[in-house]
Amino acid sequence: MNLLVFTKRVPATQEEELRIVDDGKAVDLSKVPFKVNDWDNYAVEEAVQIAEKTGGTVTAISIGDKESDEVLRRAIAMGAKDGFLIEKEEILHDPGVRAALVNNFLKKEGIAYDAIFTGVQSEDDQFAAVGGILAAKLGIPYASMVIGIDAVEKDHLIARRELEGGLQERVKITSPCVLAIQSGINEPRYVSIMGIRKASKVERKTYKGADYSENANNSIEVVRWVYPPKKGAATMLTGELDEVCKQLLGVLKEKGVYQ
Amino acid sequence: MSYALIIAEVRRGVFEERNLDTLGICALLGKETVLLMPDKPYTFNENMYDTIIKAKTEEEVFLNPLNIAGIIEQVISARGKPDFIILTHSSSGSESAVYMAGLFSLPVVTDVSGYDKERNIFFKSYYSDKIFGEFKSSQEGTCILTVRSGSFKEFVGEKASAPKVEFIENVSVSEARTFVEYVEEEKTDIDITKAEFLLSVGRGIGNKDEIPDYEALAGLLKAVLSGSRPVIDKLWLPKARQVGTSGKTVKPKVYLAMGISGAFQHIAGMKDSDCIIAVNKDAEAPIFQYAHFGIVADIHKVRDKLKNILAG
Repeated sequence: MNLLVFTKRVPATQEEELRIVDDGKAVDLSKVPFKVNDWDNYAVEEAVQIAEKTGGTVTAISIGDKESDEVLRRAIAMGAKDGFLIEKEEILHDPGVRAALVNNFLKKEGIAYDAIFTGVQSEDDQFAAVGGILAAKLGIPYASMVIGIDAVEKDHLIARRELEGGLQERVKITSPCVLAIQSGINEPRYVSIMGIRKASKVERKTYKGADYSENANNSIEVVRWVYPPKKGAATMLTGELDEVCKQLLGVLKEKGVYQ
Repeated sequence: MSYALIIAEVRRGVFEERNLDTLGICALLGKETVLLMPDKPYTFNENMYDTIIKAKTEEEVFLNPLNIAGIIEQVISARGKPDFIILTHSSSGSESAVYMAGLFSLPVVTDVSGYDKERNIFFKSYYSDKIFGEFKSSQEGTCILTVRSGSFKEFVGEKASAPKVEFIENVSVSEARTFVEYVEEEKTDIDITKAEFLLSVGRGIGNKDEIPDYEALAGLLKAVLSGSRPVIDKLWLPKARQVGTSGKTVKPKVYLAMGISGAFQHIAGMKDSDCIIAVNKDAEAPIFQYAHFGIVADIHKVRDKLKNILAG
């Protein structure tokens, strides 16, 4: 089975203080470190495992600026055969535009595949949308929140989708298809610096995004960026560590869960 | 007539509570509310909708993005295009929403948690919930939305009269994707939903080797240890201990969260706890917005100090 897997370079904002600049027109990410989107890491691993089992290949694809080459090298180090970069300088906030670019790219370049994997969502925009839009545009079936692939047959796969409250559903889906892979589906392999250095020797192809922008027009737009409204007012326990911990134990006693 | 089409989230005979949020945003939008659901017996207050369209098909068929698209085409050919198609931001809701966006070439904004009526703007979380994007559709016509659970339910209300009920008789079923079966979570001896006091750990603990020390702290506090998604994904704790939408929804007397930043899927699983205490080194972590008490500190230092005090 030959697989395409999408991987995205995203800002690691979890522990960063973010500032909105230019009167709400932009978010300053200049001091934020970048990394591979966590969900894509699981998607790449899943694709590589399936290719290893069924004897196919994995091609990693990224949409982004030149720096995104870094996540392609990483995917190659994990076992992808090659990597394509669809180069776009600006951040694309409309998932419809990203999907249209990919749709045009796959058709124009005549790229063959049995399945396309994406991460369920990307950490930066949390849209969870590109895979589904792309599947519909390609006219192939789609399943998201895939937390297990139980069987890979000649013309179909059996996938397990994560629902709510610990429940899952098993679905049969014909190939080619698009699957959005959920985190936790596997244990992504460790990638060493040596591995990435070796992967750098594998050629990655760069394509100009502008060549695939037919019908890739924004259908939604960001008017401006704002900070989320402050909801509650947590009582902050402050002071020396010892003092803070005693206050914490005081709260636990007051709530009756600790004597 | 301008209307909003709400796609019901149903699962194994239950009309999910999250449907109140899709209805709530409709109330804000001021649109006629048309609910689309499978024609099965579900318990809910029908009087909150103007019209209910029941599709004569199985629930699993309805929950499949390849089938729902065909059902909606029938609704549109009968009623004209809606201003909005609105779904819950759930596993199946978001799946169907984006597939329809691709199929019908419609704009989609997912995970909407706010609406500004004056400016006709939708709020959507970005960057670990630290920034909101103000979104609007750039084109005329239908826009697809998925809404974050808990965001709009306060705006619902009953209508003056009972809803009109219509039916869709024939639903075509896709062969390209079919439901096989539900898979239940394995039963375990620990039930975190029964605990009065949960000590919950997140990505911030750094690595698996730290788990035994948090287990020890939980032991000293007589708390039960639970975790957020990253901890479960990395197999640092078993799935049965996961708090959040895809894990368990908990309401303990005290929820002590250490190293959990507070992704919305996690918040949805613990926000109704009597008392939430958050410890995180990032003062900007969204969890502090939901906590009753907060400590900005290195969680390992807090853990070790607590252990010292408790052991001494």
